[in-house]
Amino acid sequence: MDNTIVKLRGYKDGLHLIINPKVSLKEVETAIHELLSEMNQSLSGTSIQIDMMTTPLTSDDLKELETHLTKSYDLVVSGVNVLDEKDESPILAAPTTHSISEELSLDTPMHVENAQVVRQTIRSGQTTSCLTGSVILYGDVNPGGEVIASGDIVVLGALRGSAHAGANGRLSSVIIAMDLVPLQLQIGTYVNRPPLGQKPRGYPEIARVGAEDIIIVEEFIKF
Amino acid sequence: MGKVIVITSGKGGVGKTTSTANLGTALAMLDKTVVIVDADVGLRNLDVVMGLESRVVYTSMDVIEKRCELSKALVKDRRVENLMLLAASQRNRKDDIRPEQMQDICEKLKEDYDFVLIDSPAGIEQGFHNAAAGADEAIIVTTPDLSAIRDADRIIGLLQNEGIEPINLVINRLSATLVRKGNMISKNDVLDILNIDLLGVIPEDTGVIASTNRGVPLVHTERSPGAEAYMRIARRMTGQRVPIPDMREDSFLDQIANWFSKKK
Ligand SMILES: Nc1ncnc2c1ncn2[C@@H]1O[C@H](COP(=O)(O)OP(=O)(O)O)[C@@H](O)[C@H]1O
Ligand SMILES: [Mg+2]
Repeated sequence: MDNTIVKLRGYKDGLHLIINPKVSLKEVETAIHELLSEMNQSLSGTSIQIDMMTTPLTSDDLKELETHLTKSYDLVVSGVNVLDEKDESPILAAPTTHSISEELSLDTPMHVENAQVVRQTIRSGQTTSCLTGSVILYGDVNPGGEVIASGDIVVLGALRGSAHAGANGRLSSVIIAMDLVPLQLQIGTYVNRPPLGQKPRGYPEIARVGAEDIIIVEEFIKF
Repeated sequence: MGKVIVITSGKGGVGKTTSTANLGTALAMLDKTVVIVDADVGLRNLDVVMGLESRVVYTSMDVIEKRCELSKALVKDRRVENLMLLAASQRNRKDDIRPEQMQDICEKLKEDYDFVLIDSPAGIEQGFHNAAAGADEAIIVTTPDLSAIRDADRIIGLLQNEGIEPINLVINRLSATLVRKGNMISKNDVLDILNIDLLGVIPEDTGVIASTNRGVPLVHTERSPGAEAYMRIARRMTGQRVPIPDMREDSFLDQIANWFSKKK
């Protein structure tokens, strides 16, 4: 775990100020001062979002912080994202060696993720892909069929073909299927080829990148 | 106005030609007017299986290139009334024909006949597209093995893209004994993957090979399991409600046997 109080990160949708839980407003402000004065580049006029894992600050504190950021640093606060524990990606709950996974989960505030709903059986030779979010499939993926998503893949049927989640590199992506008997699974750049001739186990399963950088598959109960 | 049904599979050697010959004959025996069309240009063999090889004078290519009238190119079957064959040219290649030309022939045929069955070549290339071009419906033939099922699945996707509907399934060469021993994929497993309606199951039947070699479709032979299965399918195609009998693979005893083998 990283103990820095605040971190500044640039993501696709702009700058994020990430605040560590369990700190007081004073500590946050001091940390911000240190962080920003260290930078030899002015952030004046930049819009910024505040990300917090849980709510360490009260809403009054938050207001004060926003005013402070605007007045002292000329920043425009464009949003506050509170990532509740339950929104944590399953990867965080698992023992993992990914030092980056924490950031990756902040990278994608889960509330507003894009998902493509597909009502079709993906047959041999067919591909369905969504490179701007997750895929939810009402149907099967047959051997020779393929689903690709930058986010998660949820198959409300049998996954017998191939699935590639986190196709843009997001290792916290998961693959869930009612019957998970794939030819091949891929999450980010990790590949998993289950033994041939597997029988469906009769319960939903989830595949994710676990410790040791391998794709692990286990019974899916809940996020 | 009749309907045009393409009989196709993706994989070769699974029983498309056998099924076209037998279903065409069976439908004609049920007093329907039928044309069976060989779309396997370059490798024609529907005429051989029908025992009509020596009677073929003109082919679909002659019709397309306006060397003869469509009605004149149709060969009358030797045994059943109301059954005609349109043979494929052996001298041409599959891409010598364009989909619109096949479509044209199909449109004309279905004005005069109840059923137009198209025997498709294997593969997913031009020949397949030509065969499917004029089709209203499709029958997928597969054998219960993984590669045939995979190809059938691919073909179903392509047919669905063309808007061909319904697409029904015939499972050919199922051996109840092998399924029971766990050495063959069962009917239900095939259906589970392909997820289309089952039109019928044809058992493995040595009579098929004998009938192929004699040029007499199996449905002319009484008391053959294969012939009975084809007759049932033909009746279903005419709209009769004919149950699909369980092959012994799903019998009560087998369920018990299955249950024990799962326990292990
Ligand atoms: N139910 C069956 N039982 C035994 N042999 C069969 C059966 N169906 C087809 N065959 C044999 O399989 C071979 C290929 O069949 P065919 O109909 O020519 O396939 P396709 O047209 O799909 O290439 C033939 O020799 C045929 O006799
Ligand atoms: Mg053939």
